[in-house]
Amino acid sequence: MRESSSAWVRNRNTVRYTPKSLGSVSQTVILGVLVLVVGLIYVTQGTKATGFDYELSKVESEIAELEAKKEDLAVERARLTSIASNNQSTVAANMEVAEVSGYAE
Amino acid sequence: MAEDRIKFLKLGLYFVAGVIMVRLFFVQIIQNKMWVAKAEEQHTMENKILAKRGEIYMMDGSEPVAVVMNEKVYTVVVDPMAADEEELRGLIFGEDMKENLVASEEEVFRDRTRRYFLVARNVGTQKAKQIREAEPAGVWLKEGTKRVYPEGELGARLLGFVNAEGEGQYGVEGALNKELKGTDGLLKTVADVNRVALSIGNDNVKIPAKDGEDVVLTIDRNVQNNVERILKEKMEEFGKDQASAVVMNPNTGEILAMANLPGYDPANYAEVESADVFINRVTEDPYEPASVCKAFTFATGVDLGVLGPETTYYNNGYEVIDGWKINNASQYDSLLGPTSIQKALNWSLNTGSIYALKLIGGDANRITEEGRKKLYEYYTEKFGLGKETGVELYENLGLIGDPVEGDGRDSLYANMTFGQNMLVTMMQVISGYNTLVNGGKKVTPSVVEGEMVGGELVKKERGEGEQVISEETSRVMREMLWGTRTTYRANGTDPAGYYIGGKTGTAQVIRDGKYSMDEWVATYVGFGGTEGELPEYTVMVRIWKDGETTSAETYALPIFSEISNYMINYLKLRPKQE
Repeated sequence: MRESSSAWVRNRNTVRYTPKSLGSVSQTVILGVLVLVVGLIYVTQGTKATGFDYELSKVESEIAELEAKKEDLAVERARLTSIASNNQSTVAANMEVAEVSGYAE
Repeated sequence: MAEDRIKFLKLGLYFVAGVIMVRLFFVQIIQNKMWVAKAEEQHTMENKILAKRGEIYMMDGSEPVAVVMNEKVYTVVVDPMAADEEELRGLIFGEDMKENLVASEEEVFRDRTRRYFLVARNVGTQKAKQIREAEPAGVWLKEGTKRVYPEGELGARLLGFVNAEGEGQYGVEGALNKELKGTDGLLKTVADVNRVALSIGNDNVKIPAKDGEDVVLTIDRNVQNNVERILKEKMEEFGKDQASAVVMNPNTGEILAMANLPGYDPANYAEVESADVFINRVTEDPYEPASVCKAFTFATGVDLGVLGPETTYYNNGYEVIDGWKINNASQYDSLLGPTSIQKALNWSLNTGSIYALKLIGGDANRITEEGRKKLYEYYTEKFGLGKETGVELYENLGLIGDPVEGDGRDSLYANMTFGQNMLVTMMQVISGYNTLVNGGKKVTPSVVEGEMVGGELVKKERGEGEQVISEETSRVMREMLWGTRTTYRANGTDPAGYYIGGKTGTAQVIRDGKYSMDEWVATYVGFGGTEGELPEYTVMVRIWKDGETTSAETYALPIFSEISNYMINYLKLRPKQE
């Protein structure tokens, strides 16, 4: 008689324990899936970081563009307030030469 | 049979695996460095972060204003093989790019085998953006900066320019190139196919650029503009073609204006006819100063206590030294006979300054070695002639002869008492005059007021100045120079209540190794301020034309007077109340 048959006794609630284990194919598949998941997480995070870099690059370009605009405006302002442009202004052209005035004694 | 096939297959697989292993060994071990370098080249981006060149400011009263600025510009490069001519016709070869184009459409597309053609320079940011957004094939934009000059030619020979390599040349740009230039930074990072810098990677390097200093000059743009205007008007009126002037605060050494005409447009510096216009004649061009030096000779005597304005000598109209006859320029009979030192300065008598040299040497009848040595010491050490003044610009030292070594020292030094046989710069002369009139202090002339930091002016610290002659000598010299100007005052041009003094200098020019009798350079140097107070300004003027006689009284003095009157108004100096 096999050892397992001794567990079969009339009117007793018994459970048969059968050792269960994953086969080698299942293990390989699970390992593969795990590697895939980890890989996906890595790729997702990497892409996320790269996405930030693109965002950063765009913001930096905008900053550079605004700075260039600011510099252009500063140059324009300096040109408009220069002595040369003041002298050539219509206001300067219409000024009259001051004459010596008499003072009341 | 089947087993044989499997064996054969196995052997085949082993062989292929072996070949792969050997290849991998070569690639990964033997050729490792080469492949790593190639990989890095493809996925890393290395860019120089360009430092911004510092801007240059002048003062506008108490406010700094930018006179040399930077503008971002682009160079357009086209690959004719890859570019579409039709597409570029309106975009790059249009009317709006007319001033920037350096090559025509026809030239660029004549030979389509060329891969690189520089098409346009100094393209503005707006146009560059338009080109970039159109994404034309075979077109690159290269970023750069160019210097812009909102004040045009104002102070050009003082400011200098920046050449195509980004190096400062001449003037402030050249002398302060190191401070203005800054240090470039470096960005080395992993990049993707779009050349976007990625933050991943362990070898990323970012060294920020250190921008150049924004230098603020002591030059007041209003004074500079008016001095240049006066020089220009007078040059036209007198028919002269060269003129220089410098205006200073004699008490601090600050230079308020430094003008050299003719000028040039620094934005188009390559278009000048001669590089001569780049020279700053105030600091870089030594010349014989002539009679303005008499004030230094008399000051030496006064400071040593051997003479005063009332000291008298006998004026024969000439002196003979080492067998050479030295004449006075003024040969009026009324000047002959017993003459005071004050009168010798007033009439610029060479015999008077030679007599002073004799007294300095301790013997009223002859020039001695002791006298030469003392005059040399005062000229060079106390008044700074023939020495670097310390101004933050290129300087030429000039030449002051040795008092002992060499032949004909007596004759040489007799000539030096009235500014001949020596070479000095205008900067040295006016610095010496500052000492004569500011109470006897040797102050370092300076063109740098400070630096702009975060939009605010941080002023440079200045020293007090060393006391090199006594306050009393300085007072006497002010009085003597006032007396001299009074003698030559041009029809009452000096307003009442102000204390204005000065001295003329008409220098002979050496041509072909000897003094020319037909070519003279006119100079005038003087001071001004409220009567009874220390002077507020000193002015030196030099005007000439090659091959012509230019006398100081006729040409340099009126220019000084006009600048002096402008300074009185500009500085809002109050006249002395009676």
